[in-house]
Amino acid sequence: MPDEPVLAVLLISTIAAVFGALGALPFGLPRPPSRAMVGGAYALASGLMLGAGYLLLGRGLDRATVPVIVGAALGVAYTHWSQVYSGLVDLQVDLGAAPSVADPVEVAAPELGYKVLLQYALHSAAEGVAIGVAMVLELRLGIFLALALAVHNVAESMALTEILRRRGIAVSAAAGLCVVAKITQPVLALAAFALAPVMTALLPGALGFAAGCMVFLVLTELLPASYRRASRLPVGLLVSVAAGALLMLEHVFVAAGD
Amino acid sequence: MLAEGILAEAGVVFLFGLLTALATGLGALPFVFASNVSPRTIAIAESIAAGLMLGASVGLLLEGARYGMPQTLAGAALGLVFIVFGRRALEGREVSLGGIRGAGARQVLLMVGVMTLHSFSEGVAVGVSFGGGKTLATLITVAIAVHNIPEGLAISAVMRPKGASIPVCAGWSIFSSLPQPLMAVPAFLFVDLFRPVLPYGLGFAAGAMVFMVFLELLPEAYAAARATTVGLAVSVSLGAMILFQRLL
Repeated sequence: MPDEPVLAVLLISTIAAVFGALGALPFGLPRPPSRAMVGGAYALASGLMLGAGYLLLGRGLDRATVPVIVGAALGVAYTHWSQVYSGLVDLQVDLGAAPSVADPVEVAAPELGYKVLLQYALHSAAEGVAIGVAMVLELRLGIFLALALAVHNVAESMALTEILRRRGIAVSAAAGLCVVAKITQPVLALAAFALAPVMTALLPGALGFAAGCMVFLVLTELLPASYRRASRLPVGLLVSVAAGALLMLEHVFVAAGD
Repeated sequence: MLAEGILAEAGVVFLFGLLTALATGLGALPFVFASNVSPRTIAIAESIAAGLMLGASVGLLLEGARYGMPQTLAGAALGLVFIVFGRRALEGREVSLGGIRGAGARQVLLMVGVMTLHSFSEGVAVGVSFGGGKTLATLITVAIAVHNIPEGLAISAVMRPKGASIPVCAGWSIFSSLPQPLMAVPAFLFVDLFRPVLPYGLGFAAGAMVFMVFLELLPEAYAAARATTVGLAVSVSLGAMILFQRLL
């Protein structure tokens, strides 16, 4: 019976991950994206993730309050500890030094390379959980979130490609790596969806968990990187408008369709 | 006879509304204990303010959605436009507020302005919900008063590190909530008139607050503290604000 939805989850979340490759393409142009444009991509990705987080939170709060907040707290705690134990917190410092990131020795260090890919893999895993949980709740919402995250994957891959290019990796290889780094998204989406029977009982908590992960990832990884590359007015506008646009689209295509 | 009853009730709404505004001043109290203001402390205070404002916006959007999501989002867009132009109008102008001068004063003025405007919407929301058939319960008023404390905390978290005294922080916090009782009474008396405007107002408040967070509070917080510190402070205060609003 659940054959079809499982296929839908797999298909949609894989398409979302493959979208990541598009983010590498602008770097093949004669004039690759500027630092400020990559900052804008981070801001766009942030806004879409915050909008998605709000949708999950709102769906959860419709059902319960305390389990949602407990779930969100667990999501924040999980993300925080995964960053601490994998050494990803160092990235915030390494890449945080703003223009001096150009230091070729530091950027080329193998350790940094593995950390960057790990960061993207963990980040995408959280998004996969969000897609899976949303699919358990309502198939339409899950598909909508997967499509929103597909657009956000393009922006995020642009950011990843910027880092990879500085390490001397070819655009085509960077495009491939962007998809590989996102592969945790469909895997975790499927895993979350497979746990649907368990999840139904824990749904408010699971919705909170996914929202907590996403909000914390935006706050610790995407937004600081965005402010380092672009000035605060375009960043603030992009984050707010992207989040608002996502809510409007959700209202038109998901909520109003019920 | 009936009209008299409604007026008396409106008087009660106003009186309770005034009390709720005074409660906002309590938000300045925690800063009595925080005497040391390192750049990191300021960043954490700004992060807490950001989390509280994001949490309040979640509440406003959820409430607005009940009256109409497109209207709420249109209001939010107006909130963005308001901040962009408000900021431009203040640019290069010499302002001082509560003993704060320069760029800090412009930011604080914008912050107090946004929180004051947001109280107009909140006041209408209170009046409409009171007038919408629900009985006027002291419990509801107490709940609103409690809601105002974190809003005072957000204002004080931005003003206090910039050098404003505790009474000044408390004073501006109370000021920012005064529109609440003023708007609650007409909204209560003329529910049908105010209800259509409500989603726009709620959206406006949410949009302006969210934009303030990403335009002013967070970039400054990241400049003075680690991303992890900012992330944890924002997440905890955001979650606490939602919990607070839903349970009290």
